[in-house]
Amino acid sequence: MAETKRKTRDDGSRQRSSSKKPKTSKKGKSADKAERRGPRLPNALRKELDRLNPRTADSDEEIGSDEEALGQDLYEYEEGLPEEESKKNRRFDPVDNLDYELPEDFEDENVSSDDDNEARNGGESEADDEVKEENDGRRIGEMPTQTVEGRRKKMNNVVVSEAYPESEYNPTRDMLEGEGALSIGDLLDPLQGKHGYSKLKKRVRILDKKSTPIQAPLPKPVQQRLERNAAYDKSKEELRKWEPIVKRNREAPTIYFDDDRDLGPSSVGTIASEFEPRTEFEKKMASLLYDDEVMDAHRKDGSRLLELNKVSAEDEKDRQNRIAKMRSLLFRHELKSKHIKNIKSKTYHRLLKKDKLKANSLQSQMDPEASKELAMKQEYERAKERMTLRHKGSSKWAKRIKERGLDVQDDGTRAAIAEQQHLHAQLTRKMNSMKDSDTSSNDTSDDDDVDVNSDDEDRASKLLEKAKEKTLKLLNEDNEVPNSGVLSLPFMNEAAAEEAKLALQEYESWANQLGDSGGGNPKVGRPSGRMVFNGKDAPESSKKTKSDNKNRSDNYYGDSDSDSEDDLEPISISQHGKYRSNELMKDANISPVLLHEDSENHKDSFFKQNTDGSVQDPGPQATHEVSIFASGTWRKMKNGNDANANANAKKSPAPLQSVELDQSVQEPVKDLDVDSDADSEGQMVDGVLSAVPEPSYELPSQEELIRQAFAADNVEDEFKKTKEDILNEENPEPEKPVLLPGWGQWTNIQKKKGIPSYMQIEHDSAKKKREEALKQRKDANLKHVIISEKPPNKKSQNLFTQSLPYPFTSKEVFEQSIRMPLGPEFNPASMVGALNRPEVVKKSGVIIKPIEFEEVNAYEKLEGHKKSGQKHKKNRKSKSNSNSGKNMTKLKTK
Amino acid sequence: MEDQTRLNSPCSRYLKRKESIRYCCPRLDFTPSGRYMMVGGHKGHLAIVDMKQMSLIKEFQVRETVRDVVFLHDETMFAAAQKKYPYIYNRDGTELHCLKEHGAALRLRYLEQHRLLASINEYGQLHYQDVTDGRMIGSYRTGFGRTDVMQVNRHNALLALGHSGGKVTMWSPTSSSAVIEMLCHKGPISAIAFHPTNRDLMATSGKEKKVKLWDMRNLKGPLQTLPGQAETLDFSQKGLLARGTGSFLQVLRDSSGTQKYEKYMTHPLVKGYQIEKVLFRPYEDVLCIGHSMGWSSILIPGSGNPNFDTWVANPFETPKQRREREVHSLLDKLPPETIMFDPTKIGTVKPPRKEKPTKEEKEAELEAALEVAKDIVPKKKTKGRSKPSKMKKKKQEIIANAKRPFLEQQMKEDEQMARKKQKGMEQVELPTSLQRFARKKVTI
Repeated sequence: MAETKRKTRDDGSRQRSSSKKPKTSKKGKSADKAERRGPRLPNALRKELDRLNPRTADSDEEIGSDEEALGQDLYEYEEGLPEEESKKNRRFDPVDNLDYELPEDFEDENVSSDDDNEARNGGESEADDEVKEENDGRRIGEMPTQTVEGRRKKMNNVVVSEAYPESEYNPTRDMLEGEGALSIGDLLDPLQGKHGYSKLKKRVRILDKKSTPIQAPLPKPVQQRLERNAAYDKSKEELRKWEPIVKRNREAPTIYFDDDRDLGPSSVGTIASEFEPRTEFEKKMASLLYDDEVMDAHRKDGSRLLELNKVSAEDEKDRQNRIAKMRSLLFRHELKSKHIKNIKSKTYHRLLKKDKLKANSLQSQMDPEASKELAMKQEYERAKERMTLRHKGSSKWAKRIKERGLDVQDDGTRAAIAEQQHLHAQLTRKMNSMKDSDTSSNDTSDDDDVDVNSDDEDRASKLLEKAKEKTLKLLNEDNEVPNSGVLSLPFMNEAAAEEAKLALQEYESWANQLGDSGGGNPKVGRPSGRMVFNGKDAPESSKKTKSDNKNRSDNYYGDSDSDSEDDLEPISISQHGKYRSNELMKDANISPVLLHEDSENHKDSFFKQNTDGSVQDPGPQATHEVSIFASGTWRKMKNGNDANANANAKKSPAPLQSVELDQSVQEPVKDLDVDSDADSEGQMVDGVLSAVPEPSYELPSQEELIRQAFAADNVEDEFKKTKEDILNEENPEPEKPVLLPGWGQWTNIQKKKGIPSYMQIEHDSAKKKREEALKQRKDANLKHVIISEKPPNKKSQNLFTQSLPYPFTSKEVFEQSIRMPLGPEFNPASMVGALNRPEVVKKSGVIIKPIEFEEVNAYEKLEGHKKSGQKHKKNRKSKSNSNSGKNMTKLKTK
Repeated sequence: MEDQTRLNSPCSRYLKRKESIRYCCPRLDFTPSGRYMMVGGHKGHLAIVDMKQMSLIKEFQVRETVRDVVFLHDETMFAAAQKKYPYIYNRDGTELHCLKEHGAALRLRYLEQHRLLASINEYGQLHYQDVTDGRMIGSYRTGFGRTDVMQVNRHNALLALGHSGGKVTMWSPTSSSAVIEMLCHKGPISAIAFHPTNRDLMATSGKEKKVKLWDMRNLKGPLQTLPGQAETLDFSQKGLLARGTGSFLQVLRDSSGTQKYEKYMTHPLVKGYQIEKVLFRPYEDVLCIGHSMGWSSILIPGSGNPNFDTWVANPFETPKQRREREVHSLLDKLPPETIMFDPTKIGTVKPPRKEKPTKEEKEAELEAALEVAKDIVPKKKTKGRSKPSKMKKKKQEIIANAKRPFLEQQMKEDEQMARKKQKGMEQVELPTSLQRFARKKVTI
C-alpha cells in the first residue's frame, strides 16, 4: 500500500486533503509494482503508522486523520498554508510555472479513466469526489512541489528536517541545485494499469533515450539573419539554373520574339468557336442551339431534324397572316409617304410657275415657232377672256361682293378680287405687248447673225460701216423715249440723254482720228454691265468687244493698231490694256484720244528701252546675227520695229510664223537686258564676265577693259585677307602690350626700360599659342585653301562611333575592319541577312512574354545564323501544329 | 532641219545633229542611266527625249526664261529653274510644285543619294530642299555674289560653286559656311566638272583662259594646267574631258593614265553657234552639245562606260523595275548629315575633342610648376631681410603664386559647370500634367 502525498492548497473552509490514495486495482502485479515504487517511509514510521492505522488507506480521511495525528514532527504533514496560496486579496501573483505540459487529450483520458474507476469503486464519499476533481484541475500547477517530493524520495528516504517549511521562499536544496526535475514517468504513474498505458510508457522511454536538451532560442535578429542567409542561398541556387539561358541570350547576335504568333485575322470559325453566351438572350439562344436533342439530330442522319422542324398548320397560317398584315401596313405607309413627298409648298409652286413662264418667254425669244405657239395660246386666252369676261367681275360672286362693298370684306376676298381684276387687265393688255415682243425678237435674230458675222475678219469694215450708220441712227432716235419698261423711268431718261451727248462727242473725235480707217468707236455705253443682244444694243456691244480686243493686244487681231510692240512686251501691255479697258468701263469721260496717246507713249518708251538694250549689250548681238542666218524675215522685222504700228496695221493679218519669229528674236534681247540691268553697277566682275572675247564681239568700253585687265590682280590678296580674317576669328591675335604713361612706374623709368618684361613674356606666349593653334589647322600649309574648322553638326556626331568597340584595341584596326561593306552588292546573298540582322527581331504587336525556363546545354556551340534561322522556322511550324494555345515565349537564339 | 557634219579626227564618224530654232541655248540633263534627256531651252521650251528610240516623250512651252533643268530621281519628274522660281514638273508636263523659297534660281542640281534639290539663286543664296518630304534642309547665303557655276561632286555630294573671285567653294547642307574654299583661278570661274569615277579629280576653268585639274587629296596646287578657255566642262564616265567655248569644242584624254590630259578630238560647230553646255551621255559614246541653235550630239569613241550595272543604272529599265528601284532608293536615302568632305570617315571612331587636358595632366602640370617654384633659391639679402622667418614667408608666397593660375582656372571651370548644371536643371521641366507631383523646392 502506498500513498502519494501532495501538498494542496486548501480553501479556508476545507481542512486539507493533500494525499490521495490510488485505488487498489484488481490486477495484483501492477498493484505490487506501484507499491514498490511508492515512497518509502522509514520503518519506524511505518510501524507507527500501522499501529495508528491498521486498515490502511481505505479513505483519505482516515489517512488525513492519521497524518494529523502524527503532528508537526513530520515534514509531510506539517503543511502550513503558504501565504501566497491563500489568495488573499490577490496580493500575490498567480504562479504558473509550466515546465512541462502534457497534451490535453492525454490528461483528459486519464481523468476520465480515473473517474471511471472511482465510479466503479463507488466507495468514496462525495466530498472526496469534489476534492479529487479540484485536484485534477490543479495537478499541473502543483507539479513543482510534487517533483521535489519525488526527487527527495528517490535520493534518500531520510527525512531532513528543515528550519522553515518548504515554500517558494524557502525552496529545498534539490530545487536550488536544479535537480528537482519532474519526470514524465511521475506524471504517468497515476495512469498505471489503464488502457494504453504500456504503449505510452514505451513511447516515453524511447523519447527519453533520444531526447537532448532543448537549446534556448537565439535572439531574434540573429535568427532572422540566419534565415535570410539560408533564403539567399536557396534563391541563388534556384537562379543559377537560369544562367545558361541568360548567357545564351546575351551572346546571341539576334533575339527573336516573333515565334508562333499568328497575328492574322482569325477566321469566322475560330471566332465562333470562342464565342461564349453572356447575355440573357445569348444564353437562351445557346440553350436552344445546343439542345441535346438537336445536337443528337445533327450528329445522326438528319431525319430527326425534320421531325423537330415540324410546324403545325395553324402556326403557319398565323405566320402568313401576320406577314400579310405587315406587308399591307408597309404598303400603306409607303403610299402615304410618297404622297407626302409629292406635296410641294406654295412657294415651290410659285417659283415653278415663274420658272415655267421664264422658260416659255425665253423659248419664245429663241425659237420663232415656239413664240408663235405662245402667241397663239395667248391669243386664244385673250379671245376667251373677251368672250366670257370671266374675270371682269361679272360673276355672281363678284357682283355680290361689289354689292356688299369692298371695305366690308376681309383681306382674302379683297385680294381675290384684286387678282381677278389684275388678270383681266393683263389679258386684255396682252395684245399690245405681244406685238412688241414679236418685233424685238425678230430684231435680235437679225442682230445675232450680224454678230456672228462680225467675228469674221473680212466683214470687219462692213460691220464698221453698219455700226456707224446704226449709231448715228440711234443717236438721232434716242429722243424717242420708250414708253414702258425700266427705261421709261425719268432718271433713266436723263442718264440716257447725257450718255447720248457723250457718245456724240466721242464719235466725232473718233471719226476725226481714224479718218478713213473707219474704226469709229461711238461709245454708247449702257449703264449696266449686262449684255443684252437685242436690236438696240447689238452694234454697241460688238463695238465694245472689238475695242476690248484691241486693248488686250492679243495676236488674234493681227490687224488692229496695237501691234508688234505689244508682242514685245505682252505682259506689261496686256496689263496696261486691261487697265485701259477697265477705265473705259468705269468712266466714259476719258477720251479715247488721250488713251491712245498714252499707249503710244508707252510703246515708245518700251521701244527705246529695247533699242538701248541692244546697243548696250554686246553679248546678245551675236545671237541676233545668228538668227539672221536662220530667218530671212528678220531684217525686215527689225526695220519694221521703228516703222511700227502703221506699217503693220496696213499689212493687217501678218503671218503667224513671222510674229513668232519676231518674238523669239526679241526675247533674248529683253531677257539679257534685264540680266545686265541686275548686274551692271553692283558687280563689276560679272560685267566683265559677260564681256567675253568672242569672234563677233564688239570692243567693250575703256573702263570695262581696264577693269578686266586688273580683275585678277587682287584676287590672291583678297583671298589671303579673308583667310586671315577667318583665322583671327578663331584665334584672335594677342593684343600688343600697351603702356599707360605713369601707370606702374614713373614715366621716366618707363621710357628708359620700355615695356616691362612680364608683359612682353605674356605677349610672346600668347603669340606662340596662336601660332601653334594655326599650325594644327588642316589648311596650315595650303596657301590657297581654307578648310572650315567649324565643329561638325550635332546630328552628324551620330554617324561616328562614340568609343572604340570592345574587342578592338586600336583605332586603326577597327577602322580597317569596318571598311568591308555590308551591302548586298558586296556580299553573297546568303550572308547579307546575317550581317545586317538587327539585335532584336520582333513583329509589331507581339507581346514579349517573360522568359521561360528550359533545359539548355551551356556548352553547346552556337550555330550559324542561317541554319538556326531555318531551325527557328521549323520550330515555329511544329509548335503551331502541336499546341497553338500554349502561351509561352521561348527565346530563340542564333 | 537635219544636218550632218564631219568630225575632224581619224576615227571620225558621222554625227547626228538635231536642232530646232526653238530650243536655243538649251540646258541639258541626263538620267543616270542615260536613257532620257531633258532639254530646257532658254526661251522656255522644255522637252524630254527618249534617247534609245530618239523619240520625243513630251515637249511644252513654259513661255518664260528657263535657266536650268534637272531630272529628279528618275525621268518621271524634273525641275526647271524659270524666270522667278524653280518648278517641278512631271513627265507629262504637269506642274507639280512651285518652289518659291528658292527664288530666281540660276542653277539646279539634284543630289541623288540624299534626294535633295539644290539651287543657287540670283542673290547667291544656296538652298537645299528635300524632295521626298519638301523640307527645306538648308538655305545659306554664300556671300560671294551671284554665280551660275554649280556642280555636284558625286563622291561626297558636296556642292561646288565657282565664284567671280576665282574661288571655288564646296558646301554641305549642314553647315552655313563653305566646307572648303580654294582659290583656283585668277579670273572668275566659268566652269567646274568632277570626274564621275575617280573621286579625287576636279576640273575648273577660269576666265583667264586656263583650265586646271585638281586632285582633291592634295589641294596644294593643280595637277595640271591647260591653256585655253572653257565655258563648259564635262567628264565622261571613262574620264574624257570635254570643254566648249564659243563654237569650239575640244575633248581631252588622259591617254597615259598619269592624269596628264591631252587633246583627243576637236569639233568646231558652225561659226556663230554658241555652245551653252556639253554633256556626255552615260553608257554611250555620245556627247551632247547644247548651243544657240538647239542641241547636237556627236560621237566620241571611248567616252562612255560600255558595261552598265543594272542594279545601278539600267538603260533598259521597265516601268516595274523603275517603281521597284524608286522604293529601294527611297529606303536607301541618306540623311543630309552624311554629306561631308570625306564620307569614308563615317562610322569611324569619333575624333577626340581637342579641348581640355585631363585631370591628371592638370595635376602633373601643377606639380611641375610647384617644383620649379620650390627650386628657386632666394637671394641673400642683408639688414635682416633674409631672416629665416622672412625667407619662409617668401617661399610660401612663391609657391602660392605658382599655384594661383591653376586654382583660378579650376574655379572658373567649376563655376561654368555649376552654371551649366543649373541651366540643365532649368531646362528639364516636367510636363504640366506632372508638375503637381513634383516636390516643391524648399526656399530658405
